[in-house]
Amino acid sequence: MPLPPASGTGKYYALAAKSIRLIRQGCTNRPFFHISVTQRKRLNSQPVIEQLGSYDPMPNINNEKLVALNLERLKFWLGQGAHVTSPVAELLGLTGFFPIHPKSYMTSWRNRQAEQDRLKSEKEAVKSTA
Amino acid sequence: MLSQRYLLKRGLPMYIQHAEAHRKPRWLPVAKSKIYRIPKRPVVSEDERLELRRINNAYNTQMRAIRRFYVEDWVREKSSLESATSEMSQRLEADEWLKCEELNDKWNKQIASNREERRKKELEAMEEFALLRMEAKDKALKERIERASEKIKKEKELSTTFVTRENLEETIEHVLANPIDYNFAIDSKGNIYEGRDTEIEYEDKKKVEAAN
Repeated sequence: MPLPPASGTGKYYALAAKSIRLIRQGCTNRPFFHISVTQRKRLNSQPVIEQLGSYDPMPNINNEKLVALNLERLKFWLGQGAHVTSPVAELLGLTGFFPIHPKSYMTSWRNRQAEQDRLKSEKEAVKSTA
Repeated sequence: MLSQRYLLKRGLPMYIQHAEAHRKPRWLPVAKSKIYRIPKRPVVSEDERLELRRINNAYNTQMRAIRRFYVEDWVREKSSLESATSEMSQRLEADEWLKCEELNDKWNKQIASNREERRKKELEAMEEFALLRMEAKDKALKERIERASEKIKKEKELSTTFVTRENLEETIEHVLANPIDYNFAIDSKGNIYEGRDTEIEYEDKKKVEAAN
């Protein structure tokens, strides 16, 4: 008996809450995600309703993390009242489909602060040695 | 976890390995080495907290608007689709249906004529095959009868030489008068000398005697 397709079965209960989430499809030490719409109570290992895109979190040779999205279907499912999990909302914020997610802002300013602190400490170390 | 009901009623008999399968079960107690460990709470400064609250509020407001926009968009699209199904589109659909029916009839006729031809051909082939089989069977039967009659003829011919009650005495006398000796000798060249008492003429008698 074949497994249900990862691209979605297209079967769902009309009244059940839907969720657009990342579903891990890679193997050990190689993460890869499908952006799929499923019923909200389903596990990530269970069949999905439809695949809306993919996300490769490992940078390729051009230092890019690739994201593919089916925006038309995404709009449709948002119209159906599907929930969007925060990792997907962050990705959509970076693509410009949604406003930038607060978490993105937070990580960026924290990273910026850490970088500044590092530079400062390096400068001080250079001064103390000189 | 999968519920028992799902496991029983699922469409596919699948076994899926879960990430939780190799983790510590929930009912195991805290490890001895970790029993007095208190995890550190993340420190968020007041400024950061206020800023986060502000941007979160803004984000939530914007998201609500976006979501409502898409829902309304969907509702609008649906209503337009529904209005499109009335009158005009119905007439168009009826026309389309008629066209489709005509085309379907045409195809059906074509297919029917093709089928008729094919069936004729098949019937002919079947008849031919049956005739061939019948002929072959007739031929075989005839041959068998011929073979049998030949055998009968032969037996009849042979029956003239049979020993019967009438000519029994004669035959016995004839046999006694002409005895036949089936013994024979054979030399290294393959010559056969019939009879028990036949004199053998050697080519060079002396040589043979010398050898003996």
